[in-house]
Amino acid sequence: MNLDFFIYLVINTLVVVTISPLFVSLTKKVKAKTQGRQGPPIFQTYFILIKLLKKEVIYSPNSSRIMRVTPFVTMAALLVAALFVPLVYLPEPQGGIGNIILFLYLIALARFFMALAGLDAGSSFGGMGSSREMSISAIIEPTTIIVFAALAFVFKTLNIFDMFASTAANGLLETPTLILIAISLFIIIIVETSRIPVDNPETHLELTMIHEGMILEQSGRNLALLELSAAVKMTILMALLINLIVPFGLTTTLTLAGILIALVAFVVKGSILAGLIGLFESSMAKKRFFQLPSLFAMAFFFSTLIIIMAVFS
Amino acid sequence: MILILFIIAIFVLLAGTIFPLITASLDRKFIRTTSLSFIIVSSILLGIFSFINLISGESVLFTVYQPIKLFSLSFEIDRLSSFFLLLTSIVSACVAIYFTEYIEHMDGNSRRNLLCSSTCLFILAMVLVIASANTLSFFLFWELMAASSFLLVTYEYTREETKKAGIFYFIMTQLSSLFVLLGIIILFVITNSFAFLHLATSSVPLVTIAFLALFTGFSIKAGIIPFHKWLPYAHPASPSPISALMSGVMLKVAVYGLVRFLLDVFTPDVSWGVLILIAGTVSAVLGIIYALKEHDVKMMLAYSSIENIGVIFIGIGLSIIFTASNLPLLATISLLGALFHSLNHAIFKSLLFLTAGSVVSATNTRDIEHMGGLAHRMPVTSAFFFVGAVSIAALPPLNGFASELLIFIAFFTSVAVVNPLFKVLLFISIALFALTSALSASCFVKAFGSIFLAMPRSPESTDAHEVPSAMLIGPGILAAACILLGVFALQIFTVVGFAVPLPDMLFVSILLVGMAVFTYLVLYFTASHEVRVSETWGCGLLSQKASAEYSGHGFSEPLDVIFSAIYRTRIKNERKFFDQKSCLFKEGSGEIRLLKVFEEYLYHPIAKYSMKGARFVARFQNGCLDTYLLYVFVAVIALIIFLGWFA
Repeated sequence: MNLDFFIYLVINTLVVVTISPLFVSLTKKVKAKTQGRQGPPIFQTYFILIKLLKKEVIYSPNSSRIMRVTPFVTMAALLVAALFVPLVYLPEPQGGIGNIILFLYLIALARFFMALAGLDAGSSFGGMGSSREMSISAIIEPTTIIVFAALAFVFKTLNIFDMFASTAANGLLETPTLILIAISLFIIIIVETSRIPVDNPETHLELTMIHEGMILEQSGRNLALLELSAAVKMTILMALLINLIVPFGLTTTLTLAGILIALVAFVVKGSILAGLIGLFESSMAKKRFFQLPSLFAMAFFFSTLIIIMAVFS
Repeated sequence: MILILFIIAIFVLLAGTIFPLITASLDRKFIRTTSLSFIIVSSILLGIFSFINLISGESVLFTVYQPIKLFSLSFEIDRLSSFFLLLTSIVSACVAIYFTEYIEHMDGNSRRNLLCSSTCLFILAMVLVIASANTLSFFLFWELMAASSFLLVTYEYTREETKKAGIFYFIMTQLSSLFVLLGIIILFVITNSFAFLHLATSSVPLVTIAFLALFTGFSIKAGIIPFHKWLPYAHPASPSPISALMSGVMLKVAVYGLVRFLLDVFTPDVSWGVLILIAGTVSAVLGIIYALKEHDVKMMLAYSSIENIGVIFIGIGLSIIFTASNLPLLATISLLGALFHSLNHAIFKSLLFLTAGSVVSATNTRDIEHMGGLAHRMPVTSAFFFVGAVSIAALPPLNGFASELLIFIAFFTSVAVVNPLFKVLLFISIALFALTSALSASCFVKAFGSIFLAMPRSPESTDAHEVPSAMLIGPGILAAACILLGVFALQIFTVVGFAVPLPDMLFVSILLVGMAVFTYLVLYFTASHEVRVSETWGCGLLSQKASAEYSGHGFSEPLDVIFSAIYRTRIKNERKFFDQKSCLFKEGSGEIRLLKVFEEYLYHPIAKYSMKGARFVARFQNGCLDTYLLYVFVAVIALIIFLGWFA
């Protein structure tokens, strides 16, 4: 590991941890505005995290080690996954960091632990959340893989770094394929970050009870970690979309000015995308759980269409 | 020179087979322990031998006995055989360590000595199948393997379900042998030799028939759908260590057979690759979908074996398609993926079967709905099962992920290169392959969650205790192997001499640990350290009830509904009334039954027609001397006419 890569490690981790709560709040704010509400201040998620850090952790007497390690494993898995998606500075990839399949499975690792933690306390809320989360993630998986295979095909590489490098070098992409991929990636963001119409991030009540139900038994600093890791997951998936489609600003040289410009550019682009996600959520109604497979089937056919267009054109 | 290790190992196994037979009437622990330690010793010897052979890449050939020119009992151990021998020895050693303790808790008194003996014989047969240098000795040991495994499956022969499982297994395994024999005979007709001779062509119909026969034979043994039905019967019926051996090693011997014939004998046609790929994909998807529905832990593991064998077949199929499309690099990657997955599956599946065996012996039930809360009661076993579950769910950085990643990489890079007709096929199968690995994550969340987490749901489960240390050492070694093979995957391939495009999992693991430590440190300095233990909120109930927990059934319900078209349930309502106009209800019953699609639509009709055929043939056997004399007479006449005509 050379020095450049180590600096990348530090910068990327710090940026993703500090920025991601902002995007979560922005989405909430946009949703509130469209509903005619004032909404929480845009730094509310930070305040919530700080509040949670100060609170005690409550464990159920039934819960095992799984409950205790899950927040750390989830956070670690997502922070490593965040290294696969350069946010502001793009170095040379090292030791297979950036492999798109590994990226996907790191997210799956976090989900696996969270689902187990949902079952650990023995409450039916957590179990229901875990069960639904695992079911949804299983049936969206074919779509995700097809989209990632399409990316690998279009860029002729499996590495996210190389994909970003090629879009950054070529400027704005004109191929319609990438725009179609962007739409598919957007669907994946919606599903993976538990948003309407798949899940509702605002509530843990029976009608939705997927992601929020799964982490219902968590408290204190553990909950803070899980909330933050959910925000990190949203940010890195957004970054994947942003840096593929509109890569301006992403710097390949390690200069302070370059990184600051890249940071500002990323925050602006990310805020716009977060706002779009909020608008998208507001324009939709929550779908019934068992109608989701047909929604995913649609996404699947859509992304297969992209591939077929790309392959046979 | 190192050949001596192999020969000693064979003789030690032979001793392990014979020793308990001589002392069969004595019900002593030391007899069984000695016999099983013979397995451990020979496995260590075999392990060293095959490891050296695998690294050096040399091929060892020797003949033991040659009665006639055409046939010799000879062995050849090249890299492929060494690899499978290594796999066999790792699993056998761990299973044998576990078995020394497990067998003492089993029923059957001195009959257990025979169990030891047949286990030795079974392992011996598998080792010799892998080492065989010609098709005929391959078949002889294949048959020995089938017979000895039948003895193992029917060990608890007094139980009704074991009887059924035994017969089912016997028929399927003999069917497999028949097809393998057919293939070998056709090959003999073509080449006039029993050696593994390379055939340059695949266009002759006879060659294709030979391949199809061998493929069917190996598929039955490997449990490829639709020939899979024996697995979910035989595994729950046999003792857990035997299930571990059968699922971990015996299925891999079938994989070995297929790979051996494909590499050494045939020049595979691309359509064969498509056939294997489709068979693999179908098995992978259906296997895991059936596993999700199971609540018998061993049956669930059996179905999951079907899934993993499917994954291995996907790798083999891809490799053939790539070879035929002139992409040797991708072909190597996918074949390595398939072989590496064979090793990984052998390790994590035997780990899961052994730990499941511990759980079953601690709780006296195989139904996961009656377990729960065992993470507190069996902490070490639960940790080992957890490693197996993470591995089988193909999560980084463990070994299951490393091998599936290789297959994924082959898939992803193939997209750009092969001919458009196969692209559609590859896309469908990559999507289904992804679905498979996601479903297996879901399946093992359910398994681990229902068995080990939350509260115990039965009195046996409440009183369960950790198993003795011998039953922890075996799984412990396997769990360590799961972690090492995953983390050092890239380094292992480099040592063996293959440059594969795997990411450096060691680096990723260090990063994972680093990030976890970083998170811990940050929290240590910023967050509150207060911890309280308090009852889970039970929606207003005073104390939480185990019966209110989310059960395994409940967990898989959403996927059950989504895949209901595949499960094919049959709903039956019967109502009886007091009056004729159906107004006054008397009694009624309703049932929802899971259709056993393959059994009811494929196995039973075949069985029915075979029985019909058998009854027809049976008419010739009427036991009357006159009739037999007539047969002899007709036969003689026919012979005379035949000779007069042709000779």
